[in-house]
Amino acid sequence: MRVLIVEDEALLALELESEIEAAGHKVIGQAAAGKTAFELIEKERPEFAFVDVQLLDGPTGIDIGRHLAKTGIPFIFVSGNLKRIPDDLVGAIGALEKPYTMSGLQNTLAYVEAVISGDTPDLAPPSLVFPKHAKGECEAPVGNHDQPQ
Amino acid sequence: MSETEQYIDARNAGDRLLAEHASEDPFAAAFKATRMPMIITDPRQADNPIIFLNKAFSELTGYSADELLGRNCRVLQGPETDRAAVDRIRAAIAAGEDISIDILNHRKDGSTFWNALFVSPVRNREGEIIYFFASQLDFTNIKSKEAELAAARHLAEEEVQRRTADLEHALGAKTVLVHEVDHRVKNNLLTIASIVKLQARISEDDTVRKTLRSVLNRVEALSTVQRKLLNDDDVGHFDVADFANELVLDMVGSLKRADIKVTTDLKEVIVPAAKASPIALVVNELVGDAVRRGLGEGGGHIHLEVRRLNGHFLIRVADTVTPVDMDREEQAFSQLMLNTSLKQLGAKIERTVKGRQTNVSVTLLVDERKE
Repeated sequence: MRVLIVEDEALLALELESEIEAAGHKVIGQAAAGKTAFELIEKERPEFAFVDVQLLDGPTGIDIGRHLAKTGIPFIFVSGNLKRIPDDLVGAIGALEKPYTMSGLQNTLAYVEAVISGDTPDLAPPSLVFPKHAKGECEAPVGNHDQPQ
Repeated sequence: MSETEQYIDARNAGDRLLAEHASEDPFAAAFKATRMPMIITDPRQADNPIIFLNKAFSELTGYSADELLGRNCRVLQGPETDRAAVDRIRAAIAAGEDISIDILNHRKDGSTFWNALFVSPVRNREGEIIYFFASQLDFTNIKSKEAELAAARHLAEEEVQRRTADLEHALGAKTVLVHEVDHRVKNNLLTIASIVKLQARISEDDTVRKTLRSVLNRVEALSTVQRKLLNDDDVGHFDVADFANELVLDMVGSLKRADIKVTTDLKEVIVPAAKASPIALVVNELVGDAVRRGLGEGGGHIHLEVRRLNGHFLIRVADTVTPVDMDREEQAFSQLMLNTSLKQLGAKIERTVKGRQTNVSVTLLVDERKE
């Protein structure tokens, strides 16, 4: 997969990139702000994106998510505060809350690969939060995926 | 008709009225002596003048009898008098009806008083109105107390509103601060984990990589506590079952082994935030130990249980694995982490090994969650 990383913390973005490449994917670019993200989406047409909400130019991650959803590019949010994201996750497959673990990230990547390639994932990662009223493949087969109340 | 003539006519009418009542007439005496200000007017004379007033009325208004006889009551009206009230009195008099009304009147010196006025027509046998009788009651004190009370209540309400706004503002600022701090802690924990991972990735030394992975594992357990703690609206509590579920599924899931079976029996156990980290480390070491003893290499079965048990709280990990050789240093380190956390919690541990099966139970006393 050609993956876009939208994250304003350089070290987190670097490590995320290593993890994604280790899983056999290609990172087509990193964006620390909304403007760069929109340009990269336009120019590189990624197949998947990790999107942080709070960026250098404010909480622009939500708008990036909406744009990705409209463009038909699957993505997940990666955020330290899931409460900032609307319950329907504006079209994201899911949201991974920071600080995620290495296992949590790897399982999420495996899950996303399966969903995008049309397979049925055998495990929905417990740390991945799904949109409210999720249907079909987004419904978690194992564990409790609801955001704690 | 001149003022003097009016005065004389009114005086005469008053005298005639008095003449009908002997000086020993108790009604007349009462009228004169009562503390209630009273007047009588003559509607048959032009402009319905006052023909009689008692002493109390003079005291209330500051006018002497000579100054008022022959004049209409409107002398008591002034700039602050409500015109609508005056109109109602006029209409009642024109209709020959009783009226009871509160009106602000002016004294001779211009000062005001609240007058509870009662006006009633007096009719002769033929039913013709021959007099109007009016009594006044000065209730300025009551009125000003009412006004004071209303003003005080208004002030109190304003104060409450102001303080509520202050508190809401302070609470809002606190909430923003808490979210900001929480956000930074989470980011920093993930940054620490990223630094450890980056170095592990760069290192060409197996031992260094292993050590860094070992550090990362514990940092991540604590990171997950932070994430799970403040996910909750009820800040300061932690659900051990929710944490344990995520830990075992993510840790075993990332091994990508179809030959590992995970079963769980998890019931919500809420503990205070202060106990969250050592409990999380205990769960982390117990599950990690099963993985290191053979689950990670040879597959097998792991069962995780978190629930209340007779007022205690039980964490049980049972596994069936084909044992493999373990890194002695890693094993000793894990043992140290586990024992130190157990000591902090005052927890008991029981470990039984039967063939390929290992069963570890940790029991501890946890305060009931305070509702």
